[in-house]
Order: sequence, then C-alpha cells, then structure tokens
Amino acid sequence: MLEDWDDEQLLAALGEAIKARAAVPSWFVQTGKNAYAWHNIDAELAQLTYDSRTDADAMAVARSETASILALTFTSAHLSIELEVADGSLLGQVVPPQAGTLETHTKAGITTSSADEAGFFTVRPIPPGPFLLRFGTTDGAYVMTGWITL
Amino acid sequence: MGLKASRIRVPGLAGHDDPAAAALCTRAAAGDQGAWDEVVERYAPMVWSICTRFRLSDRDLEDVAQNVWLLLVDQLGKLPEPAALAAWLAATTRRECLRVATASRGLEPLEPDARVTGEEVIMAERNAALRAALAELPASCQPLMDMLVSDPPYSYAQISTALGIPVECIGPRRARCLERIRESSALLGLADIGGNRPGGDPGA
Repeated sequence: MLEDWDDEQLLAALGEAIKARAAVPSWFVQTGKNAYAWHNIDAELAQLTYDSRTDADAMAVARSETASILALTFTSAHLSIELEVADGSLLGQVVPPQAGTLETHTKAGITTSSADEAGFFTVRPIPPGPFLLRFGTTDGAYVMTGWITL
Repeated sequence: MGLKASRIRVPGLAGHDDPAAAALCTRAAAGDQGAWDEVVERYAPMVWSICTRFRLSDRDLEDVAQNVWLLLVDQLGKLPEPAALAAWLAATTRRECLRVATASRGLEPLEPDARVTGEEVIMAERNAALRAALAELPASCQPLMDMLVSDPPYSYAQISTALGIPVECIGPRRARCLERIRESSALLGLADIGGNRPGGDPGA
C-alpha cells in the first residue's frame, strides 16, 4: 500500500491520522484509560440482557400507559441481578434469591450495603451519574454489572 | 442486534492481523497499564468517530465509553482474535451506541451502514500505525513533520523561520523524513492492508 503512495499522499494520510486523534476530547480518552482499574477486580461481568428502555414490547406498553416501569436485568453464568426504579429508589433482586454484599461504585466512591435472604436490596438515592453494582455471594464469588446511567 | 464479525470485515481486511494490537493486548492482560493506555490511545479515535454518527449527548457518550472499555478489560486475554481488536472494538462500540441511543430517545435510531464501519476499521488501523510511525521519528524530523501535516498547512517560508532551516533545504529534508516514515517498523503490519489512497486519486 505505502509503496504506491507518493510523498503528497503520504503527507495527506499523516495529516488525516493526526486530525482524527485531535478530534477526540481528552475526557473520552481518559475514560478509556480509567477502565483499566477494573482489570484486577475479582468479578464476573454480567451482560445487560434486558432494558425496558430498549425492549420493543416494554416500549409499546410504556406508550399505552401513563406510568412506565424502568427495569434492567444483568445476567452472568451464575446469577442475575434484576433492577427496577421506583419512587426515587433503585430496587433490586438477585436471582436465584440469596443473601450477599452489594457495592455501589460511582465516581465519588464505593457504598456498601447488603442483599437479604430473598436477594432483595435497595440503592437509595439513585446515583445521579453513572454507577456500577458488584454483588458478592456468601461463597466469596463476585458478579458485577456494566455501567448504568439512569 | 449484535454485529457479526463477518459483516464488519471488508474484502482485503479479512484475515488481516495487526500484530501490534495483539502484542498490546497480551501485555495489558498481564497487568501492564502502559500497554492498556496505548490500546486506548490507538483506538479511541475510531471509537469516537463511530460514536459521532449517533448524535449522542455527552452523558450517553460517557456511558458508551465506560462500557466499551470495561467490556474490553473483561475480554483481555480472552479475545479469540486479539489481532482483530479494531474490528471487535468497532462492533462493540456500534452495539453500545445503538443501545444508549435507543434508551435515550426511545426511537429507532438511524443505523449507520455497516460498510462504513468496515472502512472505519481499516482507517483506524492505518491511522494508528501512521501516528506510531510519526512518534518514532528522530528529533531531526519531528518538528518539521508536525508543521508539514498541520491543518491549515504552513508555508515553506514560515517553516524556514520557525525551524531555522533554509527554504531550499526543506524539500530534501521532507523527502528524507517521509522515507523514514515508510521504513518505520510501526508500518510493517500495514503492508498487506488494502484501502483507498488518502486525498483521492488525482489521476481518476
């Protein structure tokens, strides 16, 4: 490829490469670098498997009703974390039901709470910015959600 | 919603391996934060460029960036084809953009043509390699190349004044520096990538 380019074409390509990098806001790059902090965190990353905001059936219901429920489900190989927004709180349940510790990670830090025997937990107030939940089972295994913005 | 790898590949890219990406992934998986930062530096422009097609708010852009890179951190050491990192990142970015765009707007967002994303992958790999080649230049070339590729461009008279090089020497030095770029080890992996010439073909 490069052998076919004359000096002008190579210069133009270099210019494009520099321009593409210069267009990226520094916070966007920093967000990527910060993600490495999760590299050594012992936790299985659960996949977002349901989001009422993007589910076609849920959206159809939401359009036909005055009040709609915002619900999310994160699924890992071992358990699911179901979330629902109600009255300014985030209600959650771990399925299959089990007790455990729950960490809410935000930019400001980590808040620790717990899930009861039925797997229920509450996060109140709902973090205003992006947050992530990490659940620890009584066996010492951890499952975490992706970043959530509500 | 998932984008199959085959759809984001284009003829000429299929089977292409970027050894630099694979090496960086291996080092990052082993705990090297510097290698991870380099992965982000190399591919953030591609992730950003894909995001701009979806007209996302800053809040949604942050959501996408956080989740795309978190997913990659999770996949370090597990990617089936680390050399095809750019294609994986492009597909993941596109999927995350579609998710947040739908969640925010509650509408079917405009879906960019998958072929454009395939081109994006080629361009991203090429741009990353070219930036790496520029960074490897010796001090005798760096300031001259910076001025030559700047937009808008500097005139030879301006370059002569700024760098203290006689105008008649700029041309030959420019040619030598471009030769060093062509020979740069950063571009070795690019030799077998197809792709359009930059700036169009004047003969076409």
